[in-house]
Amino acid sequence: MYSFWDVTLSLLDGFWITGKLFLLTLLFALPLGLIVCFGSMSKYKILSAPVKTIVWIIRGSPLMLQILIVYYGPGLMFGLPLLPRFSAALVTFVINYSCYFSEIYRGGIQAVPKGQYEAGQVLGMTRSQIFFRVTLLQFVKRIIPPMGNELITLVKDTALSRTIAVYEIIWAAESFQKKGLVWPLFYTAVFYLVFNGLLTILFSKAEKKLSYFN
Amino acid sequence: MALLEVKDLTKSFGKTEVLKGISFSLEQGKVLSIIGSSGGGKSTLLRCLNFLEFAEKGTISVNGETVYDGEKRGETSEARMRENRLHFGLVFQQFNLFPQYDVLGNITLAPTLLKRGTAEEITARAMELIKRVGLEDKAHNYPCQLSGGQQQRAAIARALALDPEILCFDEPTSALDPELTGEVLKVIRELKELDRTMIIVTHEMNFARDVSDDIIFMANGEIEEQGPPEQVFGFPKSEILKKFLKDYS
Repeated sequence: MYSFWDVTLSLLDGFWITGKLFLLTLLFALPLGLIVCFGSMSKYKILSAPVKTIVWIIRGSPLMLQILIVYYGPGLMFGLPLLPRFSAALVTFVINYSCYFSEIYRGGIQAVPKGQYEAGQVLGMTRSQIFFRVTLLQFVKRIIPPMGNELITLVKDTALSRTIAVYEIIWAAESFQKKGLVWPLFYTAVFYLVFNGLLTILFSKAEKKLSYFN
Repeated sequence: MALLEVKDLTKSFGKTEVLKGISFSLEQGKVLSIIGSSGGGKSTLLRCLNFLEFAEKGTISVNGETVYDGEKRGETSEARMRENRLHFGLVFQQFNLFPQYDVLGNITLAPTLLKRGTAEEITARAMELIKRVGLEDKAHNYPCQLSGGQQQRAAIARALALDPEILCFDEPTSALDPELTGEVLKVIRELKELDRTMIIVTHEMNFARDVSDDIIFMANGEIEEQGPPEQVFGFPKSEILKKFLKDYS
């Protein structure tokens, strides 16, 4: 039989992959989201229309389906070799989350009053001075709450990579199930809860830190 | 020679002509108030002077030097434009203080970025301005901790920190509760005594009559009437102005 300790170690192994997927998704999707955001906000329709369509497709269809398409699609349609499982999951998450982030960014940019840019201009500041010294912090303050929400969702969404057998924590727990042990699957909730608890604390700290202004 | 010379300024938004050839001049140390109903082009004129909007035609000259020419707009570099706009300062209706800086920080930010002296000099000058607008005890407060009147006074100090030759006010008291307008108008009156050249767009008729050397009444994108306050308020000629003054008294 497996001891509680054995199961914990094994699940930690899986959760390491979950965490890696989470962090790498952030690393790529945070900047990519900004590019998508600028694309969708462009005054040139030839750029904004296709970007908005992509965002609609990505946000409007199930993430699980997207994972399957990225993993199996190239092989089924073009006879290409399969991507490694982890990479396929990562690519999907990056695309999916950069679309969500782009909408959060857009909200943040539009929430900074136009008067702030104008005040900076009238005071003779350059565009980059206005961006870094005036609007950036106001933008960050405004995107923190929706970002916190989105990151918590991302932690849980990583579980969907189980559909293409990425060895993350759910998969690790299910391998015990096959051996007749059901409780490790429920036990995984503790890992998610602890991690998301930490995220929640981190974000509320950041929110507090910026609460001295409106 | 007049300090400011505006010639034939024309500006449209789409098909709507907002300024239909505005010309006027302003002497050093004088106060000009622009009155008129909403939508008459007053704010747009002020925004054109501060290069927040760009007139399609017409010129703006300060001290005989053309700082803006609508027909040569594309030829002016951004750096040059930034330099030129520093002839003017602008106080907004909505204050537009930077919320993440305290009052002192709001005032010192631009002079620091423009390298207008050492940090000590800039701070000393800012403190002087803070005293002048009566906010000595609020120097380290953030905008959200101030009343509207205090915010507007801080915004005036911020505009003064760059020492513009012409200070513009875009309805500086319109966003304020009536009991707070007095403190802001008092600051502007004091600036007049210090011989600041100012252009004030306002709906405070009594104040405009009091403080101005010259009044411009704008209607439908044109200067309908212009003259010293006694004349414009006392002996209005055009029917539109007569009606406007009646509605406002």
